[in-house]
Amino acid sequence: MNIKLIQRFGKIFYLITGFTLFLIGLILDVIGKNVGPVFAQVDLIKIGAFVAFYLFIQSYWKRESIPLKRLTAILILGTVVLGISLLLAVAIGTEFEFKGSSLIPNNYSTIFISNALAVIIGVAAIIFILLLKDILVYKPRRYTKRNFLILVIGLLAATFSAISLNPYESRLITTILFGIFVVLILINSFRMPWIVFLKKREKVLTIVFTFSILVILTALSIIFQDNSSAGKSILYFSHSLKYFVDGTFLFVLLYSLIAFLSTIFHLPTSDTFDRKMSEVASLHNLSKLVTQVLDFNELVDSVTGMTLQVCEAKSSWLEIIQPAEKLKNLKPEQSGIYVAAQKNISVLDINHINLSSSFTLRSSVINDRKPVMIDDFKNDSRTEQLSNLGSKIGSILAVPLIARNELVGILYATKETEYGFDREDLEVISAFADQAAVAVDNSRLIEKSFERERLMREMNLAQEMQKKLLPQSIPNIEHIELEAFSSPAFEVGGDYYDFMMIDDKRLAIVIGDVSGKGVSAAFYMAEMKGVFQSLCKIYPSPKDFLINANQAISSSIDKRSFISLIYAVLDIETGVVTSARAGHCPFILAKESDVSFIRPNGIGLGMGNSELFAKYIQESQTQLKSGDAVIFFTDGITVAHTKDGDEFGYSRLLEAIKNNRNNSAIDIRDAIILSVNKYMQNQPPHDDITLIILKWLRN
Amino acid sequence: MTNFKINFRESSNIQIIDLKGYLDAHTAPDFENAIQKIINNKQYNIIVNCKNLSYISSAGLGVFMAYIEEVRKNKGDIKITNMSSKIYNVFDILGFPLLYEIMNTEEDALKKFTKSI
Repeated sequence: MNIKLIQRFGKIFYLITGFTLFLIGLILDVIGKNVGPVFAQVDLIKIGAFVAFYLFIQSYWKRESIPLKRLTAILILGTVVLGISLLLAVAIGTEFEFKGSSLIPNNYSTIFISNALAVIIGVAAIIFILLLKDILVYKPRRYTKRNFLILVIGLLAATFSAISLNPYESRLITTILFGIFVVLILINSFRMPWIVFLKKREKVLTIVFTFSILVILTALSIIFQDNSSAGKSILYFSHSLKYFVDGTFLFVLLYSLIAFLSTIFHLPTSDTFDRKMSEVASLHNLSKLVTQVLDFNELVDSVTGMTLQVCEAKSSWLEIIQPAEKLKNLKPEQSGIYVAAQKNISVLDINHINLSSSFTLRSSVINDRKPVMIDDFKNDSRTEQLSNLGSKIGSILAVPLIARNELVGILYATKETEYGFDREDLEVISAFADQAAVAVDNSRLIEKSFERERLMREMNLAQEMQKKLLPQSIPNIEHIELEAFSSPAFEVGGDYYDFMMIDDKRLAIVIGDVSGKGVSAAFYMAEMKGVFQSLCKIYPSPKDFLINANQAISSSIDKRSFISLIYAVLDIETGVVTSARAGHCPFILAKESDVSFIRPNGIGLGMGNSELFAKYIQESQTQLKSGDAVIFFTDGITVAHTKDGDEFGYSRLLEAIKNNRNNSAIDIRDAIILSVNKYMQNQPPHDDITLIILKWLRN
Repeated sequence: MTNFKINFRESSNIQIIDLKGYLDAHTAPDFENAIQKIINNKQYNIIVNCKNLSYISSAGLGVFMAYIEEVRKNKGDIKITNMSSKIYNVFDILGFPLLYEIMNTEEDALKKFTKSI
């Protein structure tokens, strides 16, 4: 057999035992109808029945931790018991004759009614005790359970000491034990920590319930007093049970009385207590605000919601003042202040309040940075012109949200009644507003750092992209030295250069500068690379190439942006350089005789319409001799400047080239860079710098 | 370095903008707003006087390109005057003189405008 079955069987066993013992008692009562108890220990059997009933009830008992629910149960049980008792004992009635200190029932109906009453009232008493126990051990202290156990032992001791006592006899030991029990009741009954934590409404309910219990228990006590019909029935059944029932009634009565009185004493402070409780709850919620800073809408929603809670306001709304740096980008018609969240009030009403007249709560808070409280909205001189809102608003409160000395918002709360807010409300909302301000501020800081992070990532991405767009290696060609150098000024530059062998005897060189920086520059650069790689083999003539490149670029480039470019093609057999220029700074030809700029006409890519571009573009041809160098560069070199703003310029560049003309390409490159760096006195470069050096060594 | 100023003048229905200081990526939006404001007032005859302009970057040049089409469509023009040789060189390399009317003095530009009106 499994354990559950044994347990269930055990429970049923209790019930069967109880009823068996009870029936035996009943039979013995019937047998001894005219002579009194058949033997003195009949009581033991009857008490035994109740012990079995107790065990049965106990096995089904579920603890309930809410005292108010237990009080309700006591009230219902008391009412039911009172009803049944009235029906049995008063309406039907019992008749007894005195025989010494014993009672002799007049008829069998009296015996049955007595037994029925006894079992009902006895079981009820057991349940009363169990219910009270649940209330008493709410929020237990160290000795709570022990004290209650002593109380029950006291009651049982008094009960058992009265075994086989005749109805109207008394026993000294029982009287003493019952006296001790009453003292124990008093010790236990002052334990009611649960009352303090009740809300006002619950306290009122408690008062009603405890008072009703008092009335009902008093009625029960009267009905079951020793000389009444019902009292006699119980005394006849068992004097011990009478002590148990009387003791229980007394316990319930005293506990209810004390609970009733202390709840009444707590009632006046309950408003304060309620508020303190909700303040504690709100402050607890406030700590949650910190975690909500990731979602601004959720944050402002919580702030208004909690404002309603803290001061029991009718409506509440939060206006957010835009930070100064954001205001710059706003058009004049957009104001820097907006309603971020509202509760129980329409934006229409809010605007009405803020637009009305010379005085507004908003301007007052902005100017003074102090809370404004209007006790009588309808009649106050500051707001009387808004009296059409008077039915909705009795009093209103506006407090500033200040974080790091910056006014970040205004929190409003309204009540329907005049003089609805007191000093404590103001203090609580102000404290609350301070917390909310910190949360709003944090939220903004996080947003800002996210934004910065995002830009950083974008920049890094563009930088990576740009690196990949520049050639990874330089073509290695016999009798030609080719060197390149490129350094972006900061994260992403707009300089571009590339090489490509058009066929086995022609080298294409491109150098350019995309206007703008950052991601857009990297994007146009990528487009330029695509154009270069696809068009250079189709249009080997630099002029044709640039005309077609302009068409391709113009269709997609922003009208504020352009690309300056030089496209040059070197015939590696003959040493002829053919070039065309689209708005780029001229390139330099360093010959033995002199150093000069090559500057054919041409407009930047993406600047004008295609016809004008084609009309003005020119092509230039140069024959290289052994030892000649060609230097392509971007304007980062010529606009490099000192702290005072003096530019490196073209003449210094020419000078540096002239002095190094006979050196190798790599030496010329290094000499130019050194010269520029020296001139800038190690200032960080203002613009991207790109250099291509080509040295022709074929005879 | 970031010192940049814009001044507005008007002479016989022709809008004159004086630029002063550094026109770069940071200050270009101010210049752009200035031109936008004039165009919003349906004024399309504009002279940009660069007498006190000490530097112009590609972002600054881009501002001219952004509006020239709209201005010319409305039978107006942007004429650029009084450039220093250094500034002129920047415009010149890019080919601006082929697309824009660049004149030595403001008076020349005013004369040209009144002739065409």
